[in-house]
Amino acid sequence: MKTPDLTKLDTILERHEAAERSLIQVLQDVQKEYRYLPREAFEKVGRHCGVSVARVYSTATFYKAFSLVPQGEKLVRVCAGTACHVRGAGLLLDELERALSLEPGKTSPDGKITLKTVNCVGACAMAPCVMIDGEAHGNVKPGEVVTLVKGGRRDAAAD
Amino acid sequence: MSTLVKIKIDEKEYEVPRGRYLLAICQENGIPIPTLCHHESVEPWGGCRLCVVEFRKKRWDSWWTELATACLYPAEDGLCVWTRSEKVMKARRTILDLLLARCPGSEVITKIAAEHGVYQTSFAKREGEDNCILCGLCTRVCDRVGARAIATALRGALKEVSTPFGEPPPDCLGCLSCAHVCPTHTIGHTEADGKRTVWGRTFELVRCSGCGAASVTREQVEYAVRTKNLSPEYFVKCDACKRRESAATFAGLLFDERKGGEGPVGPTGSGPSHE
Ligand code: FES
Repeated sequence: MKTPDLTKLDTILERHEAAERSLIQVLQDVQKEYRYLPREAFEKVGRHCGVSVARVYSTATFYKAFSLVPQGEKLVRVCAGTACHVRGAGLLLDELERALSLEPGKTSPDGKITLKTVNCVGACAMAPCVMIDGEAHGNVKPGEVVTLVKGGRRDAAAD
Repeated sequence: MSTLVKIKIDEKEYEVPRGRYLLAICQENGIPIPTLCHHESVEPWGGCRLCVVEFRKKRWDSWWTELATACLYPAEDGLCVWTRSEKVMKARRTILDLLLARCPGSEVITKIAAEHGVYQTSFAKREGEDNCILCGLCTRVCDRVGARAIATALRGALKEVSTPFGEPPPDCLGCLSCAHVCPTHTIGHTEADGKRTVWGRTFELVRCSGCGAASVTREQVEYAVRTKNLSPEYFVKCDACKRRESAATFAGLLFDERKGGEGPVGPTGSGPSHE
């Protein structure tokens, strides 16, 4: 893995108060910028927030929203919460795994796409739900999920 | 002075400062409470839940009994506590049953469990060779020491105490405080040939210039010099040698003064008059 360009890190840190309570926000911004948390950034983040590297690592591994390895340009998260599960999230996942040849939690070798499951996105009313780059798509059918993920428009009739 | 309140533990009255934790009160009065995650050098944490006690308290207009961890429950006026009631023992047995499932190989847990009548776990045993109960005492003590080299990583079933990235910890001082306080003695460390290894990192030990004993790591010395305002000279000799030296110095002083006839010092002489 090549070392990331850490110059943007300073701008991120400047935006946040130098306190322990900013740790998660800082990590979120770093994750957004680099699409993962580069380990080279841990020490600086820790120093800024007044916490140890061990604490940063602890926080970074605790939350599913953070990743220690680079994520794909597009992040696809299939909700596997109870409501989505009973309304066929498993089928969506099967379909995506097959079409993208990716296991959940993995990123395609070309770094274009990451497939993940989440436990609940809080949109049970529109189950089953797929989040593509932070945008929620509800009532997704197995037949359209691949088109949706590839950036195509879903059938107007499906909505 | 904090205000004193009256509480009852196991039907006996005590007068204790308000807000003092029940565990501390019990320990002061010789009431046994099993604990795993408690250590006097750090704030109580409530990680192991083994110290549960039952208490009765008036809420609005009726009496309730509930379970609470003694290490975290502050005394308040009129509190009524039972440390070995049926409810308490049942809760402790469940906790020990679970702990036994988590680390079936731990002698400490097996012993405490047996004392509570739990001889084998009724849950599926966890695979894995460590006996970590995730009480977090090692990480708290490490923070207290100031090294802050370890913390818990991941969460849920995968949670573990870990160094950053699971690699030899750069911030570790090799002081072994974590290993020393670990209730299940699961933090492995070795010491041989003037080297100490813990958390996968090897430390060089500083030898005493007197007797050659190796007891502190170079990192510990540097840390103490940097943060505790001690001179590096302080670590040239080990504690035992320093004691021996000062004993010799005092003996010498005593001898000199007696010889000098300046009035003997010590219990044998008549000593300087105080009259
Ligand atoms: S000693 Fe109270 S919870 Fe561990």
